[in-house]
Amino acid sequence: MITGYANNSRGVGVRSLQLILPSVVCSTHLSKKVAEEVGAITFSHQHGCAIIGPDVAGVNDFFVALAGHPNIHSTLVLGLGCETLQGNELTESIAVKFPETKYVVIQESAGMTGALELSVEAARQLRVDAPHAPLDHLVIGVEGNPEAGLLDGFADLVAKAGHTLVLSNDFKEPSRNFAKLIRERTHVIASFPDANQPPTGLPLIPVVTIANTQSLLHQALVDDFDCRSGTSAEHLFERLLAVANGEASKSEAKKIGEIVVPRMVRSV
Amino acid sequence: MARVNSLIVLDARDNIAIALQELPVGMRIEQSDIASALEVQTVIPRGHKIALVDIAKGEAIIKYGERMGHAFAPILRGSHVHTHNVIGDRVSTEPTA
Amino acid sequence: MSGSEPSLLTGYPRKNGRWGFRNYILILPLHNVLNQLAEEVRLNHPAQSVITSVAHDWSGEIDSDWDRIHRVFSGFAVNPNVGATIVIGVGSAAEEEIVEAARAKREMPIAYLTLRDSGGFDNLRQRLMESVSEVFPLVASIKRESAPWSAIVLGLECGGSDAYSGITANPALGVASDKFVELGGTSILAETMEILGAEHLLAARAKTPEVGQAIIDVVARYERSITYEGIDIRGAQPSRGNIEGGLTTLEEKSLGAAKKAGNAPFTGVLDYAYLPTEPGLYFMDTPGHDIEQLTGFAAADVNITVFTTGRGTPTGSAVIPTIKAATNTEMATALPDLIDLNAGTIADGTETLAEVGARIFNEIIEVANGKLTAAEKGGHREFNLSRLYGSTQ
Repeated sequence: MITGYANNSRGVGVRSLQLILPSVVCSTHLSKKVAEEVGAITFSHQHGCAIIGPDVAGVNDFFVALAGHPNIHSTLVLGLGCETLQGNELTESIAVKFPETKYVVIQESAGMTGALELSVEAARQLRVDAPHAPLDHLVIGVEGNPEAGLLDGFADLVAKAGHTLVLSNDFKEPSRNFAKLIRERTHVIASFPDANQPPTGLPLIPVVTIANTQSLLHQALVDDFDCRSGTSAEHLFERLLAVANGEASKSEAKKIGEIVVPRMVRSV
Repeated sequence: MARVNSLIVLDARDNIAIALQELPVGMRIEQSDIASALEVQTVIPRGHKIALVDIAKGEAIIKYGERMGHAFAPILRGSHVHTHNVIGDRVSTEPTA
Repeated sequence: MSGSEPSLLTGYPRKNGRWGFRNYILILPLHNVLNQLAEEVRLNHPAQSVITSVAHDWSGEIDSDWDRIHRVFSGFAVNPNVGATIVIGVGSAAEEEIVEAARAKREMPIAYLTLRDSGGFDNLRQRLMESVSEVFPLVASIKRESAPWSAIVLGLECGGSDAYSGITANPALGVASDKFVELGGTSILAETMEILGAEHLLAARAKTPEVGQAIIDVVARYERSITYEGIDIRGAQPSRGNIEGGLTTLEEKSLGAAKKAGNAPFTGVLDYAYLPTEPGLYFMDTPGHDIEQLTGFAAADVNITVFTTGRGTPTGSAVIPTIKAATNTEMATALPDLIDLNAGTIADGTETLAEVGARIFNEIIEVANGKLTAAEKGGHREFNLSRLYGSTQ
């Protein structure tokens, strides 16, 4: 049994976080300031303007997935005003599904000082103490390529417990594989980084990292991983449940990891 | 006291100027960078272009001292210069319906 | 003005002959997993006021964009506004290549610390703190000196444009740019999409037929790449909003954007993040994306930028002081902490182009000499790794 949080329209999550979502690179700096001030999460990104073709809908949909993730209780969208991805339209597409969403725009807020004040106020209005709630059905992401034996055993345990497993291993870099796991609303992730990649995490989903003991890099960084290859499926499963129940994973405690927004084509 | 002009002439070679305010029909404009008093023939919205001289069909429109397109209809001095009488040289930019 | 006019500039001399108008210690993470660590050290080190750092989403992948990524990171690391750079990485051959390229570009203190060698995040943080302390006295010992006019490498940028951009701030910036070019400085126009439709006019200002052809080619190449994506830019330009605002043709719109480069002849055309080799006016092939452009400038030794804006934008570079010039008085009044200078007075009829041009010229000198811009006061350090291909292929 997992005890999570009832994050209203976003469902039951294993964390209850507030997201400050910059709709464009120009509002990421303000987002950081607001997130620090109110204790929310945010991320650095370079998208939202001068995007064309499939990226317009692609970036928008990715942001909706982020803003509506079950580990999030509310989202404040911060826009500049003249960007391609219009903050008000993005906010509408989030709010139609997830009403605990607000929007502040710099160009209509008398500048940065004004926008900061309005944003902090809006974020505080959105803030809730989400009540605990039972989470019977956990969605677990697996990033990278665990050894076949471990994956089979682990998949069995997940299935027996009535949880769901989502795999993502298109790329060598964990931060690029995470995009799919965010869209699939995974509550927790077990990450098996490539031998040349360091352990990493995400601000909104706790990530448990497993070192590949064949990798010289992972050997050097072993204290920054939660587990090592050779660990049993049972141990890994227990560790993920403990993290789902509130224990901090290594990457979570160290606050490492960036959200990478997938892009299809160049900027114009 | 600040001087306030109604038009801005961007380059001495230009045959158009930019309205700094909406210009009503009949308004007489005299400023140092215009050869002789200009009478507004059609309403010119703020930020839009007004002809400083008569411009014949096919003649170039000069802004910033450069060619920005040509007239596809004759334009009288003091009239609005825009998509209804001007087109780009390289690319058609006729507004879609 | 004449070429013999005494320079009013001061700056930090660099061993490659460039001049800095700032003297930063740059912390440059080469993997997105280190973004947070770079920022923590910047905020917690006693030398905070001279430290700058960036964040980005690269995670060390070598793909079709590798040349561009390599060039941007190695160029950014040695921007003349930086006195010393500490590169932090995971520990990989790709990172080593970037560091080596940076060292070959400029003789300066460049340290390279890795997670692998440090044995983890906590040790790397500690080593980074120590490394900053170690290099600080060295950087602090470099003093401002009188600099020649040729020290100026001016970036010309516009973003959030409106109907007044082409008649106020852009041509006024052009006046200032022309003065610096005449005095022996360097100035760079960019944003390929923003000259589409006016490239033949710019090409006519080229110093040689080859440079003129290069301007034509760069636009044609850009158009082909966009068309390849199945997007018709021309059908949408000028936009409905542009036409309502009074813009009639594509040439007119592009001419307005190109006005930032005044009337000087073009000395050369640069690919994204490539360095100008001699003084003069250049065109650089960049996206219109404000921060991709600014980052490309930074990697090409640009040491000061003027950014004209109609709608108002707060952004700045981690290494280049970025002066915001408003195109209209209404916005300059509404968003005062974003704007350094109002060029809207031209449209108000209270100042001439020449007067505002002189004001921008003087502001550039003052900022070069140490005056902080609105973006610097706000702590803006935007950075963007520009890609020609998507990040998902």
